[in-house]
Amino acid sequence: MKKCIFLYCATIHAIVFGQGAEQLIPSQAVTVFSINNTDLLQKISVDEWINYDFMEEIHQELFDGSTDNKTVKDAGLDFDQRLSLFYGKTNQFEVTGFTFGVKDENALFKVFDDFEALPSSFQGIKIYQSLFNNLLIDKTKGLLIRVEPVESYLNQMTDSLWYSRGNLSPFYAMDEDQFMEEEALEKEDARKNLLEKNYYELRDSLEFELQKKYYNEVLVSLLSQRKSLYSNDSIFRELLTHRSAGVFYMDNSRNIDRAKNLWYLKTVLPTLYLDVQELYDGNIITGDLTLHEGSVEFDLKARYSEALGSIYAEMNHAKFDANIAPFIRANQPAYFSYNINLRSAYEKAYDVLVPILSKAKDPEISFNLLLLKLGNALVNKDALFDAYKGSLFMTFNGIQKVKTRKITFFYDEQTFEYGEKETDAEEDMPIFTIGFSTKRNDLPEMILEHFSQVTSKFENKGDYWVYNKAIFDAAPVFLIQAKGMFLITNDQDLAENHRDGYGKDAMSKRAVKSLKNSGTMAGFANLQQVAQKFPSDFLDPSQQQLMEFLRNKTGSVTLRSGETTLQSTSVKLKYSFNDSEKSGKHFLDLLNTLYLLTK
Amino acid sequence: MKKIILLFILPVFLFSSCLEIIDDLSLNMDGSGTFKYTINLSSSKIKVNSILALDSFNGKKVPKIDEIEAKIQQFKELLKNEKGIKSVETEFNKLDFIAKIAVDFSSLDELQTGIKSVLNQLDPASKYSEDHSLWVSWDNKTLKRMIPQWVEDRIKTETQSDQELLKNGSYTCISRLPKTIQNSSNTVCKLNPAKTAAMLRVNALDLKLNPALLEHTLTLAP
Repeated sequence: MKKCIFLYCATIHAIVFGQGAEQLIPSQAVTVFSINNTDLLQKISVDEWINYDFMEEIHQELFDGSTDNKTVKDAGLDFDQRLSLFYGKTNQFEVTGFTFGVKDENALFKVFDDFEALPSSFQGIKIYQSLFNNLLIDKTKGLLIRVEPVESYLNQMTDSLWYSRGNLSPFYAMDEDQFMEEEALEKEDARKNLLEKNYYELRDSLEFELQKKYYNEVLVSLLSQRKSLYSNDSIFRELLTHRSAGVFYMDNSRNIDRAKNLWYLKTVLPTLYLDVQELYDGNIITGDLTLHEGSVEFDLKARYSEALGSIYAEMNHAKFDANIAPFIRANQPAYFSYNINLRSAYEKAYDVLVPILSKAKDPEISFNLLLLKLGNALVNKDALFDAYKGSLFMTFNGIQKVKTRKITFFYDEQTFEYGEKETDAEEDMPIFTIGFSTKRNDLPEMILEHFSQVTSKFENKGDYWVYNKAIFDAAPVFLIQAKGMFLITNDQDLAENHRDGYGKDAMSKRAVKSLKNSGTMAGFANLQQVAQKFPSDFLDPSQQQLMEFLRNKTGSVTLRSGETTLQSTSVKLKYSFNDSEKSGKHFLDLLNTLYLLTK
Repeated sequence: MKKIILLFILPVFLFSSCLEIIDDLSLNMDGSGTFKYTINLSSSKIKVNSILALDSFNGKKVPKIDEIEAKIQQFKELLKNEKGIKSVETEFNKLDFIAKIAVDFSSLDELQTGIKSVLNQLDPASKYSEDHSLWVSWDNKTLKRMIPQWVEDRIKTETQSDQELLKNGSYTCISRLPKTIQNSSNTVCKLNPAKTAAMLRVNALDLKLNPALLEHTLTLAP
């Protein structure tokens, strides 16, 4: 009876809350981030909202120079409806865009003044276009969509057409021009320039045609056949009934970039590929972002097939290795621990995969399968899984000056002639430690002994080893065996002074207990400390942008994995803060961080 | 060609926490001589290596080590064929990031025309050969060292970041002349005891902020 009431309520809820613009998200979308505007905007003004990096993108999509000083709130949008950003990719095209509610169409087109109305063959749908952006209005629902052919596919198609017409390559081959006489080079340049121009004209035409074709394909599917992500996927529909401030959806089974890893299998052994692909069926990741007093939480749930679930479930039957705790300081800017039962996971994976691989008629697969079976029969699994049990941790220890060597020039004061000499130098370096649980201390020792005989870079310091000039031929790495752990670090202080752990400076018993209760994964990051201590020079511009953003934030992020069943596993990311800012503001901070991380 | 420019002039300003540049010119009475240019990034090995591991940095594609080596080789081969260039030697220490070039030339004009021509061949869009400004001039009595306008412009526009990091860098300009030097227009310029060589050493950040610091004229004794 309870189930009936629940289903009834859920259906009513879906009808009431499911009539929004998100119904216009095309079925090809793989990732969706949907913000519940009503909930959010009660807590934060639109003016603050539009200052975020992720809104900047939307802003650029919608506003051009002719609409200066106008903002999203002038655009006639209905903030009582969700705003959903989506992205999808097939082998041929990418589809991006967002859906939104429309409150005042006149106001909308005062701002979107670059969009021109086009005739629509879809009943009740108004279509507008501005360069590559397409705007579709279905009464109170809006969809801004861009469909573009995948670059590699476009290049492949262009090359195919280009060479089938008997053309030569429009580009210079490696060093083809290096030894040409000037006159010949000029002629060849002119010829290549013309060829290149023709090639790119062909590519542009093809791009335009493919764009039209795939855009039409998406629209027909969405508007004529009424196939949307919303209609196709009950998990997505259910997700939209959540009253959380934002929801996240990713269908990993349709994630083409992940599928690329299996391309060889798909091409050469299509039957086997389908069997392996079955493992990923239903591999959908959903998340809820919820606002609380003093924190924002991101609850992530990964669903998978029972076969894959059986492997994960075995993997998660692991006890936290208490030997990890002494090597994490109480004030560590960031740490992460990962704790799995590798042996159980191996045995379950063996049970699941061997029947699948046995179906393959390919001699190479068959031979590899034989090797796998022989390995399973002959290898001493006790020794193997004692060497690496499956527990590891990583810490970020800020930056330290590390000793390196540099070349300096010295000058003869009589002649100003100069020569080179090698001197000591110091450079800033981010300090990391990674540690594995092991019962077989003898194995790393044996390997290191061997290396030290091969190269003098490996130096035995008694209780630990130094691999000199290991990083960029400049900074050393320390290899330490202690308390059932094998540690690899560039932290000289840890190697010289804390080989048995940090003692009273190590993490508190309460923190250790929390780690123990966290399941497979646990992590912590003090945002400001990480951002301030991590040298931005090592990062690319987009990562620098993220660090810059985080430097002004207070608070911490904790990661905890939850229960793992045969069907799903959950992970909780919590962003805690103790300042007076509203949680809506912090929600957008977290959203912006995720956006900067994933863009 | 931008890679060569990046290699020889700008990237050192762009991403060096401590760089050392030595610009060494030896002149004979007939105007022939040897030009040596050395860029030393060995004290920023970790940083340079970490940048080389990236695909792009500050919006610019980061070249791979073998691409840098190939460009240096190409630069050498092209310069060798220029009029008035007697020999070109290059050396690239990819462990310590020290690049060196030594050019024997018949006249300073031919050296400068040759370099501009090679830069132009490697990057036709740059139009360096249309730039008639000089960075060294010699009239048998005076040697004038200056910064061409295009270099000054590019330093100003393309080195907006890393000001802090340039503080420890240096640019050393050495001129060796065939006769005794009577005086130098730049008071920071140091003469050797025999007064046949002059050395001007400038902080990299100061140079970025004021490229004119490097300008000086050496007048020979009559």
